[in-house]
Amino acid sequence: MPYKLFDVDKDIPERKKHTYVKDKADPTEDIPACNTKTVPGCMTERGCAFAGVKGVITGAIKDVAHVVHSPVGCTAYGYGSKRYPTSPDMPDGSKFPIENFNLKYIVGTNLKESDVVFGGMKKLRQTILETAKEFPEANAIYTYSTCTVGLIGDDMDAVAKELSEELGKDVVAFNAPGFSGPTQSKGHHVANHTLFDCLVGTKEPLETTPYDVNLIGEYNIDGDLWIIKSYFDEMGIRILSSFSGDSTHDEICWMHRAKLSLVRCQRSATYIADLIEEKYGVPYMKVDFFGPRYCAENLRAVGKYFGLEDKAEEVIESRMKEIRPQLDFYREKLKGKKVWVFSGGPKNWHFPRPLQEELGMEVIAVSTMFEHEDGYGKIKERVDEGTIIFDDPNSLEMEEIIEKCKPDLMLSGVKEKYLAHKMGVPCVLIHSYENGPYIGFEGFLNLTKDIYAAIYNPVWNMLEFEYETEGSTNEDIKEEISHGEMAEGEVGK
Amino acid sequence: MSVKVEGAKSENMTACGINIVEKNRNAIINPLVTCQPLGAMFAVAGVQRGLPLVHGSQGCSTFVRYGFSRHFREPSEIAVTSLHEDAAVFGGRKNLISGIGNLALRFKPDLMGIVTTCSCEIIGDDVEGFIKVAREEMIDKMGKEKAEKIKLIHISTPSFVENHFKGYDNAVKAMVSTLAEDPGESNGKVNIIPGIVNPGDIREIKHMMSLMGSEGIMLTDTSDPFDSPLRPSATQMKPYYPKGGTPVEDISKSSNSLGTIALCNYAGSAALDLEKKYDVPAVIGQLPIGLQNTDDFVRNMVKLTDVEVTDELLDERGLLVDSMADLASRYLFGRSVAIYGDPAMVSSIARFVCELGMIPAVACTGTENPEFVEDMKKVSKESDGPIDVLPGQDLRALEVRLKEEPVDLVIGHSDGRVIAKDLGIPLVRVGFPVYDRAGYHRVPIVGYNGGINLLDRITNTVMEKYYDETHWKLQQ
Repeated sequence: MPYKLFDVDKDIPERKKHTYVKDKADPTEDIPACNTKTVPGCMTERGCAFAGVKGVITGAIKDVAHVVHSPVGCTAYGYGSKRYPTSPDMPDGSKFPIENFNLKYIVGTNLKESDVVFGGMKKLRQTILETAKEFPEANAIYTYSTCTVGLIGDDMDAVAKELSEELGKDVVAFNAPGFSGPTQSKGHHVANHTLFDCLVGTKEPLETTPYDVNLIGEYNIDGDLWIIKSYFDEMGIRILSSFSGDSTHDEICWMHRAKLSLVRCQRSATYIADLIEEKYGVPYMKVDFFGPRYCAENLRAVGKYFGLEDKAEEVIESRMKEIRPQLDFYREKLKGKKVWVFSGGPKNWHFPRPLQEELGMEVIAVSTMFEHEDGYGKIKERVDEGTIIFDDPNSLEMEEIIEKCKPDLMLSGVKEKYLAHKMGVPCVLIHSYENGPYIGFEGFLNLTKDIYAAIYNPVWNMLEFEYETEGSTNEDIKEEISHGEMAEGEVGK
Repeated sequence: MSVKVEGAKSENMTACGINIVEKNRNAIINPLVTCQPLGAMFAVAGVQRGLPLVHGSQGCSTFVRYGFSRHFREPSEIAVTSLHEDAAVFGGRKNLISGIGNLALRFKPDLMGIVTTCSCEIIGDDVEGFIKVAREEMIDKMGKEKAEKIKLIHISTPSFVENHFKGYDNAVKAMVSTLAEDPGESNGKVNIIPGIVNPGDIREIKHMMSLMGSEGIMLTDTSDPFDSPLRPSATQMKPYYPKGGTPVEDISKSSNSLGTIALCNYAGSAALDLEKKYDVPAVIGQLPIGLQNTDDFVRNMVKLTDVEVTDELLDERGLLVDSMADLASRYLFGRSVAIYGDPAMVSSIARFVCELGMIPAVACTGTENPEFVEDMKKVSKESDGPIDVLPGQDLRALEVRLKEEPVDLVIGHSDGRVIAKDLGIPLVRVGFPVYDRAGYHRVPIVGYNGGINLLDRITNTVMEKYYDETHWKLQQ
């Protein structure tokens, strides 16, 4: 039986179908149940659809002002929540005047009780106009629905349409109230469709080249995008549009002019690649740049598409030459260490192979918060026999996994990190990273260094007070202390 | 409306010396407050084996857990009823009842704070009624004794009303009024409502009380839950509960106390409730930051109990006075400061910087509490100087104000770091959230010892900026 019920879940047996143990003898297409509603009160780690739109996708765009149509809370929580830096460089060679504008400001409509009763459209309208006045630099204004707005039923699209005309710049409404869909994944979906429907195809790039790509689903966490860009630059490939790390609003609008789309985060952004292919005939390729082997394979594939194989080889060779000796060192230190990967979605199938192949680590469990069937299929393909794959972990399950499988390391987000620590297990942040970027060749080395630093942090050898140390017995210590100032009676208290 | 413009200061200045800068737009840009549920979750986290259950969408718990973990660098266990579209249409009855049941069966908390949010308030869930049904189901599944050991507290915190301070106040009030028993014999203790402060601050208050030979009941005590030791062998797992927190029993006994001191004026409802119902005197004071505010706290303790102000405590006071004498006039005197954040913290820090001879030029908070303006009037009177007060404002308003008229120093939490950096004004970090520096949740800024810490923090920041080694002043 590939499914397994955690001991701690005996009171919520519906969790059983969410936990799958990889078993090669199992001929079925079984994967963990996923993308379904969470069991209420079970201490899930999931987020909401609003987090999926603003927190993941649109918040990475450098020249857009964001208006959250909400009571103050959602606005406050939408502020600077992810580490995606932006460069001021604009496609026309100019500079955007406010550094890291995407991380610096968030606007809200500050809905009050009376707005809940009488509707908030007037306030939304006013707030967007004020935003345009406050930030004339912003090239577009994006506005977000939240639970409150979803329930009172404000027609945000109407306001956006009207104000786009009035202001002469794009105003886009994202209708993904927090309660929509079982996870933040619903927000990704809505963001993709909205950006495609409202923007793609509405503007033309200043120039095109035969080597233009859309880099989709790369959010530039801690500078990931800039690593990939450096490879592409050397290969002679141009990122015409990035979606959405370090992107400009206009770049989204001219995605249809690329020669090829590359989908990096295949959970959050395949939707738009599909839509662009369908409507504009731009083909797409799913890519994975985590870990040296996948990064090399995918650079070769992209190189092959454009007839730039040699260039790809040059990039791969130069980078591998730099990181190989260091990776060899860390492999010696890390081989055999057991690791549990707990990410939002795709890092669960990005990470296991590189950790095993390059570092000799053993992946004992993988789990995700918002992955769907296709992602679990990929995870199942890439993990070893016996690996536990589970969907939507809750904290009791976390405790059980740590207690039973005794991982040497957890890779996860900040909400989980400190619980792992309390159980004596080191943890490296893989959502917004510790000392990133983590992508590409040098990025994988950064990840490796952080893993090494976490596991070899001397503190893990000193968690408990020891009465005896090497070379001295308890009696020696007592003896020593009783001759000092401290009374013997205090020892061992 | 008196939007501050150049040259208009004297006209807008009221007799008491404050110049109110009113909000001139509807948009809120980089808020200084967040929604009620956060405050409620914070208060419930301070109960021993207490768990918040958020009746709302998953983001409502996730964002707050994220925020707490980032600030305290601790786990923050908050459950959610995971409302989705079906609940939006048919109501959240099923989710809440099964949420309470699942949390009770799997975690067996001593107290569950059921925190409401935008969605369940708008759809009009009968939370009180659902809790009753959940209670019956719990009795069926767990037996009467076990089920009744778990206190279920309904905390109404619609997010579109007021802000997180109100949520904190509502939660403390809900817990106290639900749990307080008819008074028996006096327990000789003082109830303290600390407000949304750091573990280090609560510990400092407890330390001062112990120096006075007095014991308190913290309503509630987040000091250990949000700063707990890493001792795998001694930590309770399956489920993880942090050390400490106020036992439910102590909350029940709060009606037997000699009095209640609320350390900030937004968190007094529970104190007033205890006074009204059980004649427990309520003192709603200032956050004891700085010399005079701490003196006030000590005097209040003396008033409510017959404790003595011990020599040890007076020595601690003397250490603060000593530091002020040594540092204030050379490094700080006459320097202007902008303070932003929690209204109680802003007004108390403003008073402290006046004690240091500094000028609290700007005070900005995200709430429109009338008490805040009154507090600032008092500070202005004491300091004999004009203060620009920005009530119900946001960080953008502060930025605009500071661009017009810069100050020497900014005091506030991490969300203002970019503004301070852009304007080239050094930032002294205090309050919640501080996520870009380490250890600030452990170091108190309240009490005499906290005063020393805050004074050192301010002085060192000033030294770093204005007394660089290449600067002539150090060469003297």
